[in-house]
Amino acid sequence: MTVLAVASGKGGTGKSCIASSLALAAGQVVAVDADVEEPNLGKLLGMAPKEIYSVSLPMPVFDEKLCKRCGLCAKECRFNALVQFGDLLPRLNEGLCHGCGVCSMVCPHGAITEGSHVIGKVSRDQAGDLAFLEGRLDVGCPNPVPVIKSVIDTAKEEGDLIIVDSPPGTACSMVEATEQADYVLLVTEGTPFGMADLKLALEVVSDLKRPAGVVVNRSDLGGSDPEEICRSHDVPVLARIPFSRQVAQVYGLGESPYRGSSLWREQMDRLWNSVKKEAGL
Amino acid sequence: MKEIVIVSGKGGTGKTSVTAALASLASQEGVVLCDADVDAPDLWLLIPPKEQEEIPFMGMDGAEVNEEVCIGCGKCRDFCRFDAVAMVDGKARIRQGKCEGCAGCTMVCPVQAISMVPRRQGSWFKAETEKGKLVYARLYPGGENSGMLVTTVKKAAEETAKREGHPFVLVDGPPGIACPAIAALTGASLAVAVTEPTESGIHDLLRLHQIATKLDVPTAVVLNKWDVTSLAPRVREVCLETGIPILGEIPFSKEIPEAVASAEVPLEPMTPAIQKIWSGITELTK
Repeated sequence: MTVLAVASGKGGTGKSCIASSLALAAGQVVAVDADVEEPNLGKLLGMAPKEIYSVSLPMPVFDEKLCKRCGLCAKECRFNALVQFGDLLPRLNEGLCHGCGVCSMVCPHGAITEGSHVIGKVSRDQAGDLAFLEGRLDVGCPNPVPVIKSVIDTAKEEGDLIIVDSPPGTACSMVEATEQADYVLLVTEGTPFGMADLKLALEVVSDLKRPAGVVVNRSDLGGSDPEEICRSHDVPVLARIPFSRQVAQVYGLGESPYRGSSLWREQMDRLWNSVKKEAGL
Repeated sequence: MKEIVIVSGKGGTGKTSVTAALASLASQEGVVLCDADVDAPDLWLLIPPKEQEEIPFMGMDGAEVNEEVCIGCGKCRDFCRFDAVAMVDGKARIRQGKCEGCAGCTMVCPVQAISMVPRRQGSWFKAETEKGKLVYARLYPGGENSGMLVTTVKKAAEETAKREGHPFVLVDGPPGIACPAIAALTGASLAVAVTEPTESGIHDLLRLHQIATKLDVPTAVVLNKWDVTSLAPRVREVCLETGIPILGEIPFSKEIPEAVASAEVPLEPMTPAIQKIWSGITELTK
């Protein structure tokens, strides 16, 4: 089994656009949308995924009678997710709860059980050999990591080749989506913003000891090139793709440019061949 | 003091360029700038610090094992729900990037081999710039507690504005809708959502609008690169249906990335749209 992650430090560099194109170029593959805060890969692939299960975190439920209002659970909760005043039952702030299980462990009266609190869902669709899985965080839930983990775990049970569309940034959600990848394709753009964020993303990838390659999207807008940054990390630049208004238009309509632009399709077939070679596929 | 947070849901719609241009206009009235995109901060590239003070950012305490005391029983690993404990050569080892800091392991350890220790997760900076004070941060790559860091820089910016009597705090927000975005929007006077005319942009705007509404923050839209696709009428329609005002529309122009390439605020290529947007913002936050 091989997991390829398409990631970036900066958002909006073209991750989903490229991930969708590589999935279509690969043919037989499981495409995963792990950008669970703002999942858009399904639309680009023309998929209409249906929920296969919900993702939940265990959160405390208090027994009115057993609870002695001692407040120990609130005191031990490091996330300040519990408050307890006077005669009142402890109150849970679901947005702050990490589902760690400390409160139910420390309760001396056995008054806390755990219920499951839904924070997102995983959906699936298929078109021919192309399987698609989407993780989607419920709006208002602050923690995307369990949903990312869940959708990637499910994909691993499904196929031999997995392409993961990762969330942007260099924090916990990006780490979760890339740390198990066999190869990471970092997408950047030709602006100083793209370069600054690529540097940070390369640091994450090298901390995780993942082999990586870089693709520069809209390489002719913004006057910057990552050649030197990449050389210092010993990571190759696999492709430079100039801006095309036609590609922007097709993408804008919510369609993968792999289907709507022959120029883009050629560029992506070439990129897919380099990725395969680099990743040893 | 009014706090205006520039957000987008979708990344790469032009938040930072728009923030920098608005900062130029706001600086005439007095503004404190804040970059709340702590794991990919870019505002400093356009509005460079002349001088700055660096402050270490300590995230939540994390677990640390004293290997000499550890008996290798594995109870900590069994308790941990974040997959943060590995048993290596018969000793517990904490995977720092995984540890969320709940301290459960310290409680189940029968020999008190685990303690909670402060962990540095990055830095934040109080800087002087040509446009006014700028508070920004840099989370260590792969660092934890990004939401907490967002709250830290925002609070510092708010306090500075209050202390110095500036009418505006302008926040360059993070993409997405999870903890950093929630932290950036909490308590704001207005969420300015920078949107691009794409199906993805519309989808992400609507999710962002839901978050802002939950947090009681009104949303207004800047339609950026409005003419790069033919989808602008769809965006206008969706905004009308949802009751989100459009502050203004900025055309696609190669001069904007060119300005960014020379580390310049792209004020000219966004003129006159950006002036209209700024007067809309001041109107909405009156």
